Amino acid sequence: MKELQDFLLGRIWLREFTPFPKEMIEQAVREGFVAVHKGITDGLQCARCLENGPEKIVAFRCARCAGQCHYCRHCIRMGRVSSCTDLISWKEPHVIAPYSHSFKWNGELTNLQQQASDELGESLRQNRSHLVYAVCGAGKTELLFPPLHQALSQGKRICIAAPRTDVVLELSPRLKAVFPDIIIHTLYGGSTFEKGFAQLVMATTHQLYRFQKAFDLVIVDEADAFPYSYDPALERAVSKSLKPGAPVFYVSATPSQKLLESVPNQSKIFRRFHGHPLPVPIYQPLWNYKRAFRSNRIPAKLVEWIKQKLEQQEPFMLFFPTIEMIRQAEPLFKEMDSRIEAVHSQDADRKEKVMKLRRGEIPGILTSTILERGVTIDNVQVGVVGADEEVFGASALIQMAGRAGRSSIFPDGQVIFFHNGVSWQMDNARKLIKSYNKAGCR
Amino acid sequence: MNCYLCGNKMASDPSWRDLFFLDKPETICRLCRDSFEQAPAGCRICGASGLELCGECSHWETTEFAAVLDSGKCLYSYNPAMKEFFHQYKFLQDAVLAEVFAEELAKSIKKTRAVAVPIPMNHLKLKRRTFAQVDRMLEFGGVDYLHLLIKNEEIQGEKTREERRETRGLFALNGHPLPKKIVLVDDMYTTGTTLRLAAKLLKDAGAEEITFVALIRA
Repeated sequence: MKELQDFLLGRIWLREFTPFPKEMIEQAVREGFVAVHKGITDGLQCARCLENGPEKIVAFRCARCAGQCHYCRHCIRMGRVSSCTDLISWKEPHVIAPYSHSFKWNGELTNLQQQASDELGESLRQNRSHLVYAVCGAGKTELLFPPLHQALSQGKRICIAAPRTDVVLELSPRLKAVFPDIIIHTLYGGSTFEKGFAQLVMATTHQLYRFQKAFDLVIVDEADAFPYSYDPALERAVSKSLKPGAPVFYVSATPSQKLLESVPNQSKIFRRFHGHPLPVPIYQPLWNYKRAFRSNRIPAKLVEWIKQKLEQQEPFMLFFPTIEMIRQAEPLFKEMDSRIEAVHSQDADRKEKVMKLRRGEIPGILTSTILERGVTIDNVQVGVVGADEEVFGASALIQMAGRAGRSSIFPDGQVIFFHNGVSWQMDNARKLIKSYNKAGCR
Repeated sequence: MNCYLCGNKMASDPSWRDLFFLDKPETICRLCRDSFEQAPAGCRICGASGLELCGECSHWETTEFAAVLDSGKCLYSYNPAMKEFFHQYKFLQDAVLAEVFAEELAKSIKKTRAVAVPIPMNHLKLKRRTFAQVDRMLEFGGVDYLHLLIKNEEIQGEKTREERRETRGLFALNGHPLPKKIVLVDDMYTTGTTLRLAAKLLKDAGAEEITFVALIRA
């Protein structure tokens, strides 16, 4: 029963799909430890992800309950929730005794990082939400460690939510090294069952659907990133996973106006940890590039740029607005150098290809926005094809530009926006980058 | 409306056709539709690409199952997009996806001018899956169908190809009088064992012509 309790505390889970025997759950329900919830409420809302749109909560004739049933299409990938499926939760809240946990971290913070870190500590004491607005490469993760240690020692249960599995997988081992005696669970689509009660949970934002009133603090990393900013359901998931009155710490390089306005406590770091300014994007017209790719031709200016990178043996990332265009372009670039690779969101070998670029085994990579954040490659040169395309908002452009110049050995990589006419978003991105540099120099 | 598969908003261009014909509205966007691949024409029995009679079917024709299937048609190849679709429909139980290929399936079935007989699910499995994926597509496509078979407990999908070919006694008749011309309908044709077991049972009981339509050729 202890195992079931450890697992279910703070969670809301499909009764049919737990790692425990049916009888154990039946007993826990009978004895009053476990509450049972209807999957879709009478008001036609999903009890797990809180979706209630009529396009997402749909009716069908069900053979199990022999009648009209509804199911939720929104969170279907986590196992379908329907009117006749039960969700279960543990009734009592968790209790964690305060304990001074070991803290294996002796990194140093810059003055700006230290200040932000202290401000987070203060917000934690005051139990209020906070936004860390820090440029790409400012060292956001490190500055979280001291306040995290503070909160964990107070017996708080914490979740760090990031938008993408790649980011979760990168952060999780670092946290385990810094907090060796804390049980940390890593949750993402396809992760395996981990035993025990996790005081610290590292999860993709989607996984928060499976929690309710669980956390004393949620840290939302890359708070602006797709899909979080486009999906109000994920925003609801964050608040559902929090205990009443518990705060949220947002971390972002490109916060939305809405976030800036709604979170009054803010720390700003407009300077990279190595002290160098952010590379400012250069504009390069690339007229009719779409037609060029369609007729199997790389525009001359782009050929020139790639040739230069190949000659100087500088790794490059070339971003494209659509997967379709990557597919058209890939064979053309392979003709220039057969080692050039292409990746996109549906590419299973994505991680391996990025590793190859990092190790210098391939000269460059063609990519969709999937690699716009969380990727660090020494001396990488960044090109954006069709920077004027609608898919590239200012924040995406800033993130892509933020891939360059991240290491202290190569602090100024090139960022070049290839366009078919300068867009407002491009100008906005460049203006913001310049303003960060100005503010960061003070 | 948003595409059932990618979730993106679909452009709804009003057309004269919409005004004069009561076409069902599209359920998936053009890009998603284009990601599926029509199965090429080939084997006269199972539709596998290439030969006029494929290797597997010519082998079947040397067994007790010779001539139990008169002909057949598979609509789509099992490419990555179809694998994803099939997973979402059958295993994630996204019931609305029955609408996506319903009309195409219905067109192929109506061409045969035979009585549509779906390959049934075992009743316990049906309870677990909550809906019969073949029946639901037929309903959305407006095809009247008739159940003639009862399926026992075995699940073909969990066996190897060899084990599948060795299977016998997967079906029983439900006692309903048999029509002369039958078109069996299934979601996927893999080795053809399921369809041949059903077809043999029906032919032995007096059915004269049996064809089939499957959504996918694996």
